Order: sequence, then C-alpha cells, then structure tokens
Amino acid sequence: MNELIKILNKVKTGIDYWTEKKLVSGGLLDSLDVMTIVTEICDEFDVDILPTDIVPENFESAEAMWQLVERLQED
Amino acid sequence: MSYTSWGYLLLFLGILVCLYYLVPLEKRWMVLLAGSYLFYLLASGRLPVFLIMTTLAVYFGALAMEREQKRFDAVRKSLEKEERRTRKALMVRRKRCILLVTILMNVGFLIFLKYYHFFGKNINAVMGRLNAGWQLPALNLLVPLGISFYTLSAVGYVIDVYRGQCKAEHHLGRLALFLSLFTNIVEGPISRYDQLAGQAFEGHRADYRQFTFGMQLILWGLFQKVVIADRAAILVSTVFDDPASYSGWIVVLAMLVYTLQIYTDFAGCMNVVRGSAGLFGIELAANFERPFFSRSIGEFWRRWHMTLGAWFRDYIFYPVTLSKINLRLGRMAKKYLNDHLGQVLPTAFALFFVWMANGLWHGAAWKYVVYGMYYYVLTLLGLFFRPVIGRFYARTGICRDGHLWQLFLIARTFILVNIGMLLFRANDLSAFGSMFVSIFKETGGNWLALGLDIYDMAVLAAGTVILLIVGLMQEKKWHIRQKIAVQSIPVRWGIYIAAICMVVIFGAYGNGYEAIDPVYANF
Repeated sequence: MNELIKILNKVKTGIDYWTEKKLVSGGLLDSLDVMTIVTEICDEFDVDILPTDIVPENFESAEAMWQLVERLQED
Repeated sequence: MSYTSWGYLLLFLGILVCLYYLVPLEKRWMVLLAGSYLFYLLASGRLPVFLIMTTLAVYFGALAMEREQKRFDAVRKSLEKEERRTRKALMVRRKRCILLVTILMNVGFLIFLKYYHFFGKNINAVMGRLNAGWQLPALNLLVPLGISFYTLSAVGYVIDVYRGQCKAEHHLGRLALFLSLFTNIVEGPISRYDQLAGQAFEGHRADYRQFTFGMQLILWGLFQKVVIADRAAILVSTVFDDPASYSGWIVVLAMLVYTLQIYTDFAGCMNVVRGSAGLFGIELAANFERPFFSRSIGEFWRRWHMTLGAWFRDYIFYPVTLSKINLRLGRMAKKYLNDHLGQVLPTAFALFFVWMANGLWHGAAWKYVVYGMYYYVLTLLGLFFRPVIGRFYARTGICRDGHLWQLFLIARTFILVNIGMLLFRANDLSAFGSMFVSIFKETGGNWLALGLDIYDMAVLAAGTVILLIVGLMQEKKWHIRQKIAVQSIPVRWGIYIAAICMVVIFGAYGNGYEAIDPVYANF
C-alpha cells in the first residue's frame, strides 16, 4: 500500500490518499491522471490491467486501487 | 426530413407515438424498428443498404465470438492447467481474429465511403509529383446517412462482446433496432448496447410525466435550433463565405456566433431527439453538459459531445495506453529520460490516436486533421507542464478554487475553444490562417450588412441571454423541469404555450430564411 501511495503522490500531489474516498467522482483525478496511475501500477506491480478494469469504482480511493492490484496479482 | 421540420414533429413523430401505444406491449419494438427504417428512407432518400450490412456483420461476428467462448467454457473445468492455458490462448486468438475482421469490415465501409476522396486526392498528388504514371480513379461515392454514428455504435458493441462486457445478441430485430433507432441515426448520441438496446426493445407504457418531460425537451431543443442556431447561421455564412471582406471585431463576432451556432444546433437537435425518445419511454445518453463553463480543455471535451469522447476513451485511449508497446515506451523513457516523462509519455502516445481519430471523424480534410492536432497539442501542454503549473500555484499562492481565478480559467478555455471553432468552420486551412491574422487588424466590413437586421440581432442576443441564464441555473443544480412540473395547471400550461409561441414566432423560417440542415448530420 505504501508503494501505491508513493506512486499516487508522484502522479498528483496535494491529496490525502490515505483518507480520500472520492478521487474520481470528486474530480480530484481525471482520466489522464487515472491512466498515468494505471501505467505506473502495471510497471511497479507487474500486473496486466485491462480496459474493463478501468471503471471509476476501482480508482475512487487508494484502498480500491490496492484491492484491484491484489486481485490482479492473484489472477 | 430534419428533426426540426413540421413533417417530423407533427406527422412522423405524432403518428409513430399513436401507433406505438396502440399495439400490444410486446410488439411495440416492431413499430420503432419499422419507423426507424422509414425515417432513414425519408431522411436520406436512399435504402439503408450499408446499415443493414453493418447490422448483419456485427450480429454474426458477435455470435461467432460467443460460440468460441462457449466452446472453451464447456471443457474448461475438465482440462489440466497447462492444457487449459493453451486452449484459452487459442480461444482468445480466434475471438480476436473474428473481432478484427468484423471491425475492419465496418470501419472499412466508413473509411472507403467517407475518406476515399480525401486519401485519393492526396495519394494522387504524391503520385503526380513522383511521375509514377498511376492515379487512383475518381469515384462517385455517396456517404450513407449517419454512417459515422452507427458504425461507432456497432464497433463498440462487438468490442463489448469480445471483452465480455455484454452478451452477444441472439435477436436480430433487437440489434437492428439498437443500430437504427431513428432518434440516434442522424447525429447520435452514440449509444452503448447495454444502455440502449434493452430499453428500446422492451415495450413501455404511456407515462404522463415522462411524456411531458419529453415534450419540454423537444420545445427547448427547437428554441435552441430554430430561434438561435438557424438565425446565427445567416451571420456566420455571410462572413465565412467571404472572409477577405472582413477583419477585426467582425471576424471575432463571426467566430463567437459560429460557436453559438454549432452549440445550439447540435445541443438543440440532441434535446429534440432525447425528448422524442422520451415520448416512447426511452432515455438517451446526454451529449452536452454546459461545456462553456469548463475550466480546462480536458473538461470541455468531457462536457462537449460526451458520447463521442467516451467512445474514444473506452475503445482507443484505454487499449492504446495499456498496450504492451506503449508500456514499454514508458519504461524506456523512465530509464533514459526522467521519471516525469516516463509517466506522461505513454498517455501522450495514446492521446495522439485519440485526437487524430477525433479530427478525422469530423471530416475528410486537412483542416480537420489540424483541428484534432490543435487539441492534441493543448492537451499535451497541460500534461507535460503539470509540474511547472504545480510550482506556479505554489509560488504565487493563487487559490485554485477562488471565484475570480475560476472565471479566468473559464474565459481562457472559452477563447481556446473559439480559436478551434474558427479553424473548424473556415473553408480551409489558408482561410483559417488569413481569418485568424485578420482578427488583429483594423475592423473592416459593414456591421449592418451581416445578413441579420436589428430585429434578428435582438432576437439572437435575447436567445443567448436566455441560454446563459438557463445554463447558470443548471450549473447551480436547479432542476427547471421538476420546478415546472410542480406548478399549478394554469401556470404550467401558460409556460408551455408561451414556449410554443416563442418558437413559432421567433423561429428562423419562412420568407428570407433557408432551412438549415443540422451541422453534425454531415459528419
């Protein structure tokens, strides 16, 4: 999770990723931010994210993103 | 037959609504399908041959992909891990092959019919320069009505089936209705199968509230189209058809009025079709969300022609960004350049395809390619200079959410969008160049000879003010239609009758006006 938070802070600073639960619906991350995060996650955690995984629910919070990473690592 | 013609509103729509609610619930989709094909025939004057071919191609393509998936699923559990992996890879390869053939077939129709002249002209110019002694023949091709819209819906459907996001449709009529629905065929919205097919197919019972909401949307759309857009078109044509005669503030006015025209034309037609669909209990996706209140170019494109933007995002931007080659590009940039470039280069690479497709989708001409690249460059600037922008805010201490700063951002975005609109409307690239330069010259041309008299100018200005007020109310989350719905009957009907009178009295038709085809119908 710490690694993920580090990635998020690199992509966009000034957001409290530990507590924020509305990153996408609250307008804090746009689709360009999300895709930058996705490519970083693919690279860092060696997982394959599919276009079907890119839904707002998976990127609303750091926790949701972490769950996605864990699920993809299990696959 | 245009969506704002009396023939459509009173005859076609009126008769179709009556027929729809007269037939049994389970047969109502047939009325819509027959009506949609009849509309296509009336609107284009031609048989929908290519639409039928597209429908059949995606119907059989999706079924073939489903068959491959089912064949694998049937034996999946009985296979050893290694064998399962091999069979899965084979199944995915076959599905991908079917998908590619289906997409190539449909996009092939689109490219051939819409872009043959453009590519042919450019290839022939190159061949001429090289003295190759070979030229592509000139063909007399007619672009089928709505091909740019229904092709994207069709391709989106087969990709969704391939990804497992929706099931292959076994009922040909249901798929045919999804691709041909008369409300979407001319200008969109570009609908998704899972969002539209079900609700168009299932029979709806008459619902007073939905019916009145539909009528309100139609009225508001008519106001935008015939009172504002069709009137604005006269001034716009006067200046853009003879750009050499105008300069300075008149060109600025024409540019602003064109932005107003294209917005009210497209958004107006969208309201008419969304309202029309509402009469049958169908809710279509919204295509606009007050785009001129956007604070950035990215936000503008999330609020302007939203279904097209979403299509490009889901079917071009995501897959290209996630492609192996693109991720490798990011890794290399990180290794040999720096972290920031490693982060943004994959996104920048994918965005190129999005904006190129966006430009070309709008038309087969170099100005549309440049139009796409204009937005690509603006998007890249925002992306690459993000750290600089962050430092700017940190050093100056400007509050990003402050009202004045927000207004500045809205004004900046509005200016950039207007420059894009000038390029979009100019006859060609050189006309755009000379018109853009002429903005900075002394005003030339007669303000009183722009095709509109004082009365027309006043109506246009009043219409724009009403548009702005409604936009502001919607931005503040005022639900205008709900507010009207809770009024007493005399007040409610007073508003309706006043709106109808306004459209009838102030609409730009009759002597001195020409019927203006919807701008986006040509795309």
